[in-house]
Amino acid sequence: MEIISDMLVAILQKGGSIKPTHLMYKANLSHNQMKGYLEELEKKNLVAKNDNEKESKEKVSIKITSNGRTFLAKYGEMKEFEKTFGL
Amino acid sequence: MKIVLTPDWFLGFDVLIELFSFIVLVMFLVLSLKNYRMNKNKKNFLYIGIGFGLIALAQLATILTKTVLYYDFNLIQQVGQAIVTSNFVSSVDIFYYIGFFFYRFLTLVGFYIIYRLHNKRTYLGESLLFGYFILISALLSTEIYYLFHLTCIGILLLIVRNYYGIYKENHFLNTKILLIAFSILSLSQILFIFPNGTLQATANIVELISYTIFLFLAIKIGKNGKKKKSDGDNIRYAGGNPAKRRKH
Repeated sequence: MEIISDMLVAILQKGGSIKPTHLMYKANLSHNQMKGYLEELEKKNLVAKNDNEKESKEKVSIKITSNGRTFLAKYGEMKEFEKTFGL
Repeated sequence: MKIVLTPDWFLGFDVLIELFSFIVLVMFLVLSLKNYRMNKNKKNFLYIGIGFGLIALAQLATILTKTVLYYDFNLIQQVGQAIVTSNFVSSVDIFYYIGFFFYRFLTLVGFYIIYRLHNKRTYLGESLLFGYFILISALLSTEIYYLFHLTCIGILLLIVRNYYGIYKENHFLNTKILLIAFSILSLSQILFIFPNGTLQATANIVELISYTIFLFLAIKIGKNGKKKKSDGDNIRYAGGNPAKRRKH
């Protein structure tokens, strides 16, 4: 869950859209790890590949969806609760 | 024997305070369960939710019992008529005893669960012993009313000690607020020990203050969690250097 939130935050910090290589470095993941997580995030509709850039592989970028933003808000609330109660 | 020690001029206000406490406790129950749904690996979210839920149920039990006791005039009239028929009077008594017993028992179990959360090791024997004492004090408090409040103070002080330890480590404002709320709740239980009408009303008001702080905390948790950057995105609990934070 922490990795997922790191990935989503990395996308947000780049203005909501990021290139996969940048995401890999920003979230401190290996290529294989990132591939796996990205698949999971796409499946859960937390991120999406930019539609107009799908055809050109070099230009592919990942954008955060509204579900992704909602997830981050809920995650923030959860962490706040967890820290408050020392859970 | 007097069933409740609340002074006559305060009757009704105490029910309102309990209703307010009930709402605040339900808010914490919802918050805990929401977080548990998000991260089912973290069982502590569930346990703290159960703790708050039981105390909320306890408040509900006392609200219902007191509402019948204070406002069911029909029942009061019936009791008056039935003074000669001792069977009816004792069934009314049983209703109050059961209502208040559930209030005391569920409150103590709820607080005990919140206390146990921070104890890494759980011994079955110790928990059973605690359970036994909680049951005994809930049962005997019908006759020795302050026994419940004494037990409550004991458990609440253990909770305060736990949160003091956590606050010393994390220096987090929310934990400090939680610590203050539980300390004030302990103070209210100390005041409840004295059978004086004014002190009973004061204890209720102190309890109200503590639950108001809990309410403030619940709102603050929700707000801070959703705190946004100027670009409208939530990054309060993520970001920074993931490599430093995480261990692969």
